[in-house]
Amino acid sequence: MQIICVSRGSFGYGNELAVKLAQKLGYDCIARETLTDGATDRGIPVGKIESAVLKRHPITEALALQMELMKAFICEQICGRALEKSVVYHGRTGHLVLPGISHVLRIRAIANDEERIKMTLRRMPNLTREKAKRYNDQVDEDRRRWVRTLYNADWEDPSLYDVTINFLNMTAENSASALVSIAQLPEFKATPASMQAVQDRLLASRCRLAIGRDDRTREIGVTVKADHGNVAVTYLPRQSKEAAFIPEVLGKIDGIQSIVCTVATTNILYIQESFDPDAPSLEQVIQVAEKWNASIELIRLLEGKGAAAPEAVTAPAAASSGRAADGGILDDASPALSHEGHPDGVAKTFDKLIQVGRANTVRTIPGGAQKLLSSLNRSEQNSLVVVGDVFLAREMSVRKRMRRDLISFLADHLKIPVISTEDLKGQYLFGTKQWLHMALCAVATVAVYLAVFYNQEAVLQFTSAPGTGRRVLSAALVALFVPIVAWIYGSFSHYVLKLIKLE
Amino acid sequence: MNEILGHQFIEMTWSIALQVMFLGFIGGMLSGFIGSGGAFFMTPGMMNLGVVGNVAVASNITHKFGKALIGSRKHAELGNVDKKLSVFMAITGAIGIQLAAWLMDLMSGGGDAQEGGAGVDLYISIVFVVVLSMVSLSMLKDIMNTRSGNGSGPSTKIVDFLSRFNLHPIIHFQVADVRVSLWVVLFCGLATGYLAGTIGVGGFIGVPAMIYVFGVSASVAAGSELFLAQFNGAFGALTYAFKGMVDLRLVLLLFSGSLFGIYIGAYGTKVVKEIFIRMVTALIILLCVLSRLVNIPTYLQQLGYLDMDPSYNPYFNLASKALLYASGITGGALILFFVLKAYFQRRKIQTSLTTGVSSKQSGPIPESSV
Repeated sequence: MQIICVSRGSFGYGNELAVKLAQKLGYDCIARETLTDGATDRGIPVGKIESAVLKRHPITEALALQMELMKAFICEQICGRALEKSVVYHGRTGHLVLPGISHVLRIRAIANDEERIKMTLRRMPNLTREKAKRYNDQVDEDRRRWVRTLYNADWEDPSLYDVTINFLNMTAENSASALVSIAQLPEFKATPASMQAVQDRLLASRCRLAIGRDDRTREIGVTVKADHGNVAVTYLPRQSKEAAFIPEVLGKIDGIQSIVCTVATTNILYIQESFDPDAPSLEQVIQVAEKWNASIELIRLLEGKGAAAPEAVTAPAAASSGRAADGGILDDASPALSHEGHPDGVAKTFDKLIQVGRANTVRTIPGGAQKLLSSLNRSEQNSLVVVGDVFLAREMSVRKRMRRDLISFLADHLKIPVISTEDLKGQYLFGTKQWLHMALCAVATVAVYLAVFYNQEAVLQFTSAPGTGRRVLSAALVALFVPIVAWIYGSFSHYVLKLIKLE
Repeated sequence: MNEILGHQFIEMTWSIALQVMFLGFIGGMLSGFIGSGGAFFMTPGMMNLGVVGNVAVASNITHKFGKALIGSRKHAELGNVDKKLSVFMAITGAIGIQLAAWLMDLMSGGGDAQEGGAGVDLYISIVFVVVLSMVSLSMLKDIMNTRSGNGSGPSTKIVDFLSRFNLHPIIHFQVADVRVSLWVVLFCGLATGYLAGTIGVGGFIGVPAMIYVFGVSASVAAGSELFLAQFNGAFGALTYAFKGMVDLRLVLLLFSGSLFGIYIGAYGTKVVKEIFIRMVTALIILLCVLSRLVNIPTYLQQLGYLDMDPSYNPYFNLASKALLYASGITGGALILFFVLKAYFQRRKIQTSLTTGVSSKQSGPIPESSV
């Protein structure tokens, strides 16, 4: 079943385009408003969320929970319908609702300013032209804010869309006709594997909604992910008591193969092409996760088109777990697969993460940096990206360069530190270099303190001496001395706390 | 030594040094926990130890300069700093600090040093009580609204009110994602600078100003405030150092406690509910306000505005000290409690995992594995 998402602005013919496209293709058409009404009926305060975001109210924990429920509800509705029949969804964030599903066609509908002003005036005849323009600008600004708050993305970022339709020279009717052809391209056709991804999203959304609906767990802020029926739930340490009910709450939901609950305040993305449970780099990532109380998400990055869809390589899990073997296109060069459907190393690594209580989820993404970026949910709470061995088929020097480029690319686009496994120890763990640095900082700190306190009189005489020249000199030295001491002593205290794992 | 120390610098004893370090530690912990300030505890704390008001403010603002440099670097890594907003506020912030320093210099300059010191102390205390009472009461009101389910967070009445005027030029701050009139930003910068220079608690004005007046999110407000504090701190340090008011010994002692405390406080924010953070903050500020309030009769008596037996002064001073330490110790104890609780919770989970309880199985899983 196909999914087409139309992202529209105000009075930009987006609705019209979506309706005509759905008619031409014979698909169901879902408007955002229908879903938000449904969410309101289910007790999610959509109006309050909109008001808070648009009126720039700071988002409280309670409101953030409701926001997550709203997103889960919208996702559940679209995925639920899309499993039965192809759908066209239109709303402000259509392109962001289902990240990482390969067959979603993401369309942006735009109209030129003059046309929008005319439409605004037609609908609100009391406005002046200037006010209509200002009104449209304000609506656009509100939409930008909405998208940034809910999905941490830029509404106007062209890389988030597959097609942009400009109504300046095309009618909605003709645009819809053109889009029919695009929708029939093989790139936007559902594969069994991409449908599995839709099923997983549906399951994750249902789990999220169930947790939010149950009186015992409704106040827990959780992240829920699903992979072939294996559900991963992460929650904050302070919510451990309430989280004890999560398995019971989720037990009522059909389609769950297993549940992994991890207590974590944040998440680390660990990207490699293949994983080894005994690798020293994995130990280091676990050490960092333990210090930060983070969960670890394993991302297996496969270069090129070895697998046609991100979900493809993990597809055999369905067969092995007793459900219909609905296929997926496998990479010819895929290593041996374990009983859990992942290559043996990945499955064992994930098991190890479960044993140490740091497991989040595991995913396979083919296609390089851009594909990886588009599959990441940017509104998730990630604190660090660790890039290990990737592009293994390449020659060593090329591999190094490509990995460096990947790190730079991710660092440019994600607002979190991105680091290689080699640099991980130096920056986040404690080694010889850190001991040496800490000792140097300690010696320098002691020297500075002794110098000042053994010469109190001279220091105070110098800093409070009369005369403009002396005062200027004293001020300049204070301004120089203070940041240096702060840096030296700050580094020392940072290392001490790092040593006792209090970061 | 006494010749230099005179009435301006105190004689440093082990007891005073340890108490200043303690103030720095608690202040740093509060600063890390509630995202700003710490000075509201440190400045009056030093004054209670006998440090003259303007030296306490000068030493604290100089210490803040170094602390903000370290803190803002960390926030910048997390994308919480709107440099444009900070720079705009820093411009008028510098003027505000200059104005504050000039006013205090004016007050302490005339007459004898004892009287000048009492005048400055009274002035600082009054500004402190008025401004921070308003801040803490607003916070408590917001907390009550949130708890009763009537509010979705801090009030945005001011943001909504100011947006009606559309005072041009309007500046768009991309990281903070707000559009604010240049004049509003400059005025808030001036007020923040002035209060930072007067009571050394710019953060407690700057952060709420960004949240309540500009509509900035709490994390970006804290990050941008720290970035701004670098400039305000640097300018304040330069200004006060030029006037010969900075006591480098106090700065170093404050550093020795605060740079540890700030990390522990920041860790606490990860394990405590947001509403508790706001509640602890409001409680601490209110106790600090009471502490300053109790001392006002002493200053009034010293200046001859209040006919009171001077033998009562030590009692007022003692009560003030007790309240101040109560606020800091209560706040510090709460934060340490949360941090330790989280630490033991982590250990418990680790222990349950290493004793062989698997957290993965088919279907519902038992409580022990969660």
